[in-house]
Amino acid sequence: MLLWIALSFYGCGILLTLPSVASRRPALPRSALIALCCGLVFHGAWIELSAVRLHRLPVSDLHSAISFFAFDLTLAFLIIYLRYRLVWLGLFMLPFVFLLTLAAALQAGRSFDSPNFRGGWVAIHVASMFLGYTGFFITFAAAAMYLIQERELKSKHVRPLFQRLPSLEVCDKLYYRSLVFGNIFLALGLITGFVWASRTWTGPWQYDPKILATMVTWLIYLVLFSARASGTWPGRRSAYGAIFGFAAVMVTFLGVTFLSGQHGFLPRP
Amino acid sequence: MNLVLVGISHRSAPVEVRERMNIHESRLGAALSDLVAREGIREGLILSTCNRVDLAAAGEEGSEAEPLLRGFLADYHRYDPAAHDRHLYWYRGADVVRHLFRVASSLDSMIIGEPQILGQFKQAYLAAREAGALSGTLRDVSEQALAVGRRVRRETGLGTSAVSVSYAAVELARKIFGTLGGKTVFILGAGKMSELAARHLVSSGASSILVANRTFARAEELAAAFGGTAVPFEGVLDHLQRADIVISSTGSPGLIVSRAAAENLLAARKQRPMFFVDIAVPRDIDPAVNDLDNAFVYDIDDLEQVVKENLAERRREAVRAEKIVEEEVERTLRRLASRELAPTIVALEQRLESIRRAEIERYRGRLGELTPEQRESVEALTRGMLNKILHGPITEMKSRVGGPEHGALVNMVRKIFGIND
Repeated sequence: MLLWIALSFYGCGILLTLPSVASRRPALPRSALIALCCGLVFHGAWIELSAVRLHRLPVSDLHSAISFFAFDLTLAFLIIYLRYRLVWLGLFMLPFVFLLTLAAALQAGRSFDSPNFRGGWVAIHVASMFLGYTGFFITFAAAAMYLIQERELKSKHVRPLFQRLPSLEVCDKLYYRSLVFGNIFLALGLITGFVWASRTWTGPWQYDPKILATMVTWLIYLVLFSARASGTWPGRRSAYGAIFGFAAVMVTFLGVTFLSGQHGFLPRP
Repeated sequence: MNLVLVGISHRSAPVEVRERMNIHESRLGAALSDLVAREGIREGLILSTCNRVDLAAAGEEGSEAEPLLRGFLADYHRYDPAAHDRHLYWYRGADVVRHLFRVASSLDSMIIGEPQILGQFKQAYLAAREAGALSGTLRDVSEQALAVGRRVRRETGLGTSAVSVSYAAVELARKIFGTLGGKTVFILGAGKMSELAARHLVSSGASSILVANRTFARAEELAAAFGGTAVPFEGVLDHLQRADIVISSTGSPGLIVSRAAAENLLAARKQRPMFFVDIAVPRDIDPAVNDLDNAFVYDIDDLEQVVKENLAERRREAVRAEKIVEEEVERTLRRLASRELAPTIVALEQRLESIRRAEIERYRGRLGELTPEQRESVEALTRGMLNKILHGPITEMKSRVGGPEHGALVNMVRKIFGIND
């Protein structure tokens, strides 16, 4: 129920944001920010209540995992907006958040419990993974904005829709910082995951597809990071890399969920 | 609302005529005092800029403000009406409000959306207030004009994009580099236009300037003006790598920076972006440089194209601004008319109330001793009658506020009820 309220706030927030993207008016209207904050509050409350009810972080099944991800994204967006005032970022993130929350709300109530998912390590593991993915989503958004802005500048035609895109330098900064952030947390997630799995699971869990895919993803982003840091791949190519990397993230998260045995969110048959 | 305005602008007169009518700000106070000292003129406002001179006045009730203002002009400027009348425009009543709102919103400026007019209007307003020339309607309208100007600026994109080539260059630089602080500007070929562009970049935050010119002395001169460094023209390519923004306007018939040279520059800069503003004809920078990653080249045509597109967008925003102004004009007219209506309503009520009391007094004897309830009933009856009688005229007047028949209606009501004193 709470989730639906949060959802409607997100929806309002998006609708209020959209006009600002194309116009030259400064910043998001106050009302949009307030709507988003309200949505966040309700969403957070829902997560809190679920956590209390389940005695752990409610991320064990697909829908609550999605919801947690959406929550992270919205929180990240607001924090970044306060720092950089990037209206355009909202255009990327908020509809995505809305879809995620919608998916979560539609499936609410079908969570299942498993003794495996209790305990501190899991919580840190899952939370880190999500923070990592949040970082990489922002990297993706920054990369996309960079590419669009660059194309606009090269074409020498300023289309009104893209007036408010952030400068290349800001896109680049955002890209870099979110990349670092994402890398750190994904690494943390992988490490804590290993620790926890080595204690809990039996069998050759090392070859679980999800874990492998995640490691590949992390490697991709690590490559991106080192390329960017050394200056070998500045600008356009990095951006393409980030978009490719995000595709990998989506594969890891969604695709493998349905394939993986122990690691999946669906109850094992 | 006895408002009248006379003015002259870049639309109506050439500069030789405008400069004759100009009133320098040092003489503004005296002119304003002179204006409102005249019999029949209660308030005055003078806006005098390089592109316009507007004189607005609010006349006393019942006086003809227009000839008085004409007289002031003739006296103050000692000008020949025959020669200059055709350059003047006159506004009366509601049109004065509309004109002032449009001027403050930069809709009547030579370059629509220019930012100076609002500040200039504010100066004019403050000068008039200081001279004691604003006390009523005109003060209200001026303050509202400033508010409308701010609203237009806030709610439309009217003044936000660059409409000159040098500002366009700054805007583009910002799109690449974000803030310009810490960025280096390289002036390749000292000339008027490159100097202007560099000046804009510096005022937008660029911190270091390098100048190279065939004549080293000229380069030093320009560098000194910016607090920058002059660089020898020979082997300039080696120095260019320090530049984030290059403004190029040499008289060279050939290219200074070829595509290959740019590749080397970018490599030396570890692919940090470079922005070339090539305002030279023939061009200095190989257009193919734009195809390189992290290099952006805009020649003079490109910049003018950007300006053209921005102007088109300004015109679109101007349409929205005009709508806002119209809305505000209506709102202000309605408010002014209501305010002017209030004394009439009060006078009307007072008049009928005094009639009512007089009649009750007259008939006190014939009514005899009344109980308190009966007295109360008589009061209520007479008051009720008056309210119902008054309801019609008052509603009619209120409903026509701001409309064309309003003034005539109010006058009629005053005449009918005998409250014109």
